[in-house]
Amino acid sequence: MPTYDVELIDIVKDFESGGSRVRAVDKVSVKIADGEFFALLGPSGCGKTTTLRLIAGFEQPTAGQVLIRGIAMEGIPAYHRPVNTVFQDYALFPHMTVEQNIMFGLQMEGVGKKEARKRAQEALDMVRLPDIGARKPQQLSGGQQQRVALARALVKRPAVLLLDEPLGALDLKLRVNMQYELKALQRDVGITFIYVTHDQEEAITMADRIAVMKDGEMLQVGAPREIYEHPGTRFVADFIGETNFIPADLIERAPDGSGAVRLSDETVIKAQLSKTLESSSGPVTMAIRPERVGIAKVGDSIDSADSDQTVLDARLVDSQYIGTDTRYTARIADDINLIVRVQNTSEREFSHFTIGQPVKVYWRQSSTTVLDR
Amino acid sequence: MASRLRTMRENGSLLALPTISWLVIFFVLPLIIVLVFSFMSRGRGGVAIMPFTLDHYGRTFDVFFIILQRSIGLAALTTIICLIAGYPLAFFISTRRRRIVQQVALFLVILPFWTNFLIRTYAWRILLGEEGTINGLLLSLGLISEPLPLLNTQLAVLIGLVYGFLPFMALPIYASVERFNFRYVDAAQDLGANDIRAFMRIVLPLTLPGVLAGCALVFIPSVGAFVTPDLLGGAKGLMIGNLINKQFGGSGNMPLGSALSIVMMAVVMISLLVYIFANRRDAGAS
Ligand SMILES: Nc1ncnc2c1ncn2[C@@H]1O[C@H](COP(=O)(O)OP(=O)(O)O)[C@@H](O)[C@H]1O
Ligand SMILES: [Mg+2]
Repeated sequence: MPTYDVELIDIVKDFESGGSRVRAVDKVSVKIADGEFFALLGPSGCGKTTTLRLIAGFEQPTAGQVLIRGIAMEGIPAYHRPVNTVFQDYALFPHMTVEQNIMFGLQMEGVGKKEARKRAQEALDMVRLPDIGARKPQQLSGGQQQRVALARALVKRPAVLLLDEPLGALDLKLRVNMQYELKALQRDVGITFIYVTHDQEEAITMADRIAVMKDGEMLQVGAPREIYEHPGTRFVADFIGETNFIPADLIERAPDGSGAVRLSDETVIKAQLSKTLESSSGPVTMAIRPERVGIAKVGDSIDSADSDQTVLDARLVDSQYIGTDTRYTARIADDINLIVRVQNTSEREFSHFTIGQPVKVYWRQSSTTVLDR
Repeated sequence: MASRLRTMRENGSLLALPTISWLVIFFVLPLIIVLVFSFMSRGRGGVAIMPFTLDHYGRTFDVFFIILQRSIGLAALTTIICLIAGYPLAFFISTRRRRIVQQVALFLVILPFWTNFLIRTYAWRILLGEEGTINGLLLSLGLISEPLPLLNTQLAVLIGLVYGFLPFMALPIYASVERFNFRYVDAAQDLGANDIRAFMRIVLPLTLPGVLAGCALVFIPSVGAFVTPDLLGGAKGLMIGNLINKQFGGSGNMPLGSALSIVMMAVVMISLLVYIFANRRDAGAS
């Protein structure tokens, strides 16, 4: 039997505010395995923080159950739960030194001063800030405060570490560095991380699994690759990375998950259907990632030996140089523009199309996902 | 324009002149007069005359020492009671979710200021008197057979002082708790602190500036209070403020009153220094 560190069973959380009721978390059920790096991803206000607070014990669920290591948490206060939190704003105690901050949690467990001091130093070494124990939090940079908050939580050796947008306040470069460090740290300590973020790139690069949330619901839970390659809903496809949405009519649905759609200009193309697609015919949306679309001059040969390949005539309406890539906009029908991203592997790549020129765009059937409208 | 601003800055000392002269005329000069008076002898009608003497200081620490002690004791007790009552009050008000509840509660705290302090203190005479409201109520309930001696006691003074100065304790604490970020309590509980420990280790230290300000605002005027002890304390509740007040009246003793004032000021100064020291240590800590 697999062991789960955290299980949420049909969790609902309502807030009363000003006479009206807000449902912050809506029937969330998920099982998070021991040692997993689990990301909660979603736009601001979708209920990520509330979900963390329900696990930490700062909020009580309106309905449903929180289990930590198989034990129901109902009636167990925050200070008795084997979880620790890295708060969004770090919440380092301003009247204590860094060392005192880290020792606080140990002292609450009754660890002696000497032992606590030793472990605090180990925790500081672990986050690679060995010499700042005597400083006050206000004397640290944002990145340093972030690490101290991490040390303060990890020194308690919790079963689960909850992190609420821990890198949100850092600038881009530092954030990317910290992503690697945090991931490496998590692998080293082997503690389950539940990591809240609204940054899809962060979730994809760091997490073992991602739960995409919207309006309090978990829309899809899965590995980053699965979420990216096979989004179950239009919202997920849109939220994770850039996507072309092409309105179409479903005209064929095969049992093996493939099908065919008709575009507004009557072109019929083969496409892959989402596993969670409900429609069996009628209006749908075909999603395809810009980097999965190729672009070629009309005369160029495309490897069309592959029967899986779809090739369409188009007209180039825009081209945008964005450093690593070039982003083309190709018109495939009167009202349908397709974004195409091509990596700039050489200087030539960018310059060999002119705007207004007829082109061909192509993709493999397996790169498409047909979703409900 | 810039040069004009620079001239103004260079002439900063000139701009400070009104402030400095105001301080000299209304603070330094009277202080010097009082200080000099306190070393002079008593003349007819209580005025100060030569020669210089230390008699008044001798009497302050001898005959009047009890009253000085009582004043400090009552002021200290007032401060402690105000703190014990004021902290929960302020905490309750500032943690109300709804803004309107907070505003109404604050309004109620400030409401007594709308009536003259003298009148409010007289009201306590009616409440505490032998045939007053409290005794009347207790008698009619049969809880006591004879009226309790409430008025003209130190207890009456204490009640009056606490009543009068409670807002001065509650308001600065309110401001402190209002600014307090309750995320720190979450963090403390997350790290294993129960409610009491979270309060003692996190909330109290971080709201200490408000507590200290409240204590100073209650203690300092309490030491020198004279209206409240005069109306509620009678002979048994006399405080140093009454004594000083009397020395500057018709058959008083201005040099003695001056010496008493200087001693009282010294007491207040010392407690202020303690306050500043405690605050600085706290500021250094945050
Ligand atoms: N204490 C609260 N009282 C009332 N509403 C709340 C409270 N906490 C959160 N909410 C509401 O619940 C929803 C989810 O909030 P939150 O969990 O903070 O979202 P996220 O962290 O994803 O941005 C929001 O609509 C928010 O306004
Ligand atoms: Mg949040």
